[in-house]
Amino acid sequence: MSLVTIIWSMIGSACLTLAAISFLTWCRNREAWANLFFSLLATGTAAFAFCELGMMRAGTPAEFGTVLKWGHVPTWLILVSLVGFARFYLKAGRTWLAWLACGLRTLALVLNFLVGQNLNYREITGLRHISFLGESVQIAEGVPNPWMLVGQMSLLALVVFLMDASVTIWRRGDRHRALTVGGGAIFFMFFSTVQSVFVFWGILRIPITASLSFMCLVLVMGYELSSDTLRASELSLRLQKSEAGLHEIEQRMRLAVEAADFGVLIRDFTRNEMWASDRWRALFGFSETERLELQKILLRVHPEDLDALLSMLERARSGYGVYDADFRAVLPSGEVRWVAVRGRVEFDGAGKPAFARSVAHDISRQKKAEEETRNLRQELAHAGRVSMMGQLASALAHEINQPLGAILRNAEAAELFMQDQSPDLDEVRAILADIRKDDQRAGNVIDRMRGMLKRRSLEKKPVNVGELVGDVAALVHSDATARSITLELTVADHLPPVLGDPVHLQQVLLNLIVNGMDAVNGANPGDRRVCVTATLGGPKTIEIAVNDSGRGVPSDQLIRIFDPFFTTKPDGMGMGLPISRTIIEAHNGRLWVENQNEGGASFRFTLPIAEQEYTT
Amino acid sequence: MSGAYPQMRDIAPIVYVVDDDESFLTAISRLLRANGFSVRTFSSAHEFLTQRDTETPGCVLADLRMPGMSGLDLQSALAQSPNPLPILFLTGHGDIRSTVRAMRDGAEDFLEKRAPKEMLFDAVTRALGRDSRERAARERQRELRALFDTLTERELEVLSHVVRGRLNKQIAADLGVHERTVKLHRTAITTKLKVQSVAELTRLTQEAGIFPEPVRTFP
Repeated sequence: MSLVTIIWSMIGSACLTLAAISFLTWCRNREAWANLFFSLLATGTAAFAFCELGMMRAGTPAEFGTVLKWGHVPTWLILVSLVGFARFYLKAGRTWLAWLACGLRTLALVLNFLVGQNLNYREITGLRHISFLGESVQIAEGVPNPWMLVGQMSLLALVVFLMDASVTIWRRGDRHRALTVGGGAIFFMFFSTVQSVFVFWGILRIPITASLSFMCLVLVMGYELSSDTLRASELSLRLQKSEAGLHEIEQRMRLAVEAADFGVLIRDFTRNEMWASDRWRALFGFSETERLELQKILLRVHPEDLDALLSMLERARSGYGVYDADFRAVLPSGEVRWVAVRGRVEFDGAGKPAFARSVAHDISRQKKAEEETRNLRQELAHAGRVSMMGQLASALAHEINQPLGAILRNAEAAELFMQDQSPDLDEVRAILADIRKDDQRAGNVIDRMRGMLKRRSLEKKPVNVGELVGDVAALVHSDATARSITLELTVADHLPPVLGDPVHLQQVLLNLIVNGMDAVNGANPGDRRVCVTATLGGPKTIEIAVNDSGRGVPSDQLIRIFDPFFTTKPDGMGMGLPISRTIIEAHNGRLWVENQNEGGASFRFTLPIAEQEYTT
Repeated sequence: MSGAYPQMRDIAPIVYVVDDDESFLTAISRLLRANGFSVRTFSSAHEFLTQRDTETPGCVLADLRMPGMSGLDLQSALAQSPNPLPILFLTGHGDIRSTVRAMRDGAEDFLEKRAPKEMLFDAVTRALGRDSRERAARERQRELRALFDTLTERELEVLSHVVRGRLNKQIAADLGVHERTVKLHRTAITTKLKVQSVAELTRLTQEAGIFPEPVRTFP
């Protein structure tokens, strides 16, 4: 058997085998377009190999011409599929170059059937026998077809396209593929282009053996593709392993969720379905089989908490994505429990909510403890206020006696005026107006005292800082006067209101001022000063300072001064400052002490400015 | 007693009320005026001390607790002036320590702010009377001092012996002068002091407070 027949048949069958394998791969995975193009490339190569064999074994020039003419169909297929392969496998190469190469080749194919005997020869005049691989094969002799240039241009365009694609993936960092696939394709394409130029223009007298180059190309690409397939199978193996790991993690998560006593709720917005874990159902009092609907769940939420919860859910749904709420759930049995819910909304590609997943947790015990702590704190604060009012009792009695004395004297004066023959009624009217004013004054003192003595919870509202400082100053004014202490108040202009409970804040300020007054007791009467200043402490806070002209706080007491039961006063309880600090912290503020450079202590605290929604 | 000094009767005594509480100040001044007193009001001790006319008789009605200068401070300052006024204190409620100190320093009286008005009027009247008396006494003392200032040093020396009840002969012996000289000094003394008897002379000397040590009648 002849060597040429064996080799070319083997090229054809090898390429067909590879094409079949690759085609099957594409059939199973229609996304693998590279495999399809590879399959077409290999098929084209096989067909071209048989064409070459036909040419070498041609009996007449006409037979040679016909085989060559039909050989342009696999050539077209090879070029187009190579372009497609490069585009899909390398994901590189300029589109216009791809279209140029394909377009030129298609044009060449059309010309092949229209002009001359075929694209390469206008006319084949004869066949010549030459020796190739130790046997005699035919090559053509004739007039070259100038339109052949179109086909060779298309090959050149393909080489340029492949070079461009290789450079791109080289730059991308994928040097291995740039070298093997890109470099291989360029090399073998270039080789076959050169060969076709030399042979068809009659420069070299050898048979066309482009299928050899194409086969090498197919082998290189086949190797790359199959190693990709190998990698894919490795990946899938690893995926299986990680899936097993995932299952393990899921099991652990489930364990954690159960151990943490979390209930899980998942809502599918697109299908409008809800799924809840058993723990979740138990938490909200649903049976294990009951169908869940949002409306039914919301009916179990305490009416007072519903609005806040709904607005939070709405915010999460409209793009915020997460929600976090504490609310009371009312079970069908009438039992009320505190529930903390943390959830996350997932959105689909169009930005619409797709899923909401949340965990719910019973926090009744925590809430109860918090409430007890709050009550205790309020009891303590109240005790502190009562004790402080006790200290101020005599000063406050004086504060009330003052207007009462004025009322009495005015009334007596009026009586005397009325005994006149012609009483001065204007004077009497003035007296009556004064009496009313003094009565109001005494009433205000009593109201302030009652406010301080009342047992009450913390209720925050916007508080005018000037009024706050003024009210407290009115309470201590009398005591300060009696002790020859000058009380200076400096409130910056146009301070915005703070958010707080007026009585609790008065208590803190009162406590600090009374402490300050005690601190200056030892000083000379002219040097006893307590200054209260209120200024803007930051964009969202107001800072209030109580400075005294005493000796300051010894450095070893600076830390302990806020400890409960720490006191430097013979009859002190040591609760004033700890209570004050608790109150300020409950207002999200800070209370601290520092010594002033010019002597004396400076107790300072910050309070948050009330938001606009509160002030309007 | 004031009858003896007619030039002072024309100036009506004034009640000076000092209190930092404006509304109480107005009320009490109304009441005092309605009862016929002349009243001037001051909102601080300092204001009163700088504005008062020392010659005008009257009394002070001051709040014990005031910012700045307290009632007690006012009392001390007033005591150092040439014409101190009796001071009445008004208090909201009794403060023992202050009361004791004020009384020891000669406070006229203590009144609660809401004391019956009769007590207030009586106290004010009493204080005005005391001022009038003290003012008259101070005036008479000034006159007597002026009278005694006309005596020479020798005459004063003789007088000191006379008021101790010593005889002319003894005085002459003590001073180492002739008895007739002593007689001449005594005549000059009685003429200058416009007195007739030794008893009258002794009383006048005591009233003027010329000799600080107690006059010893017997040697």
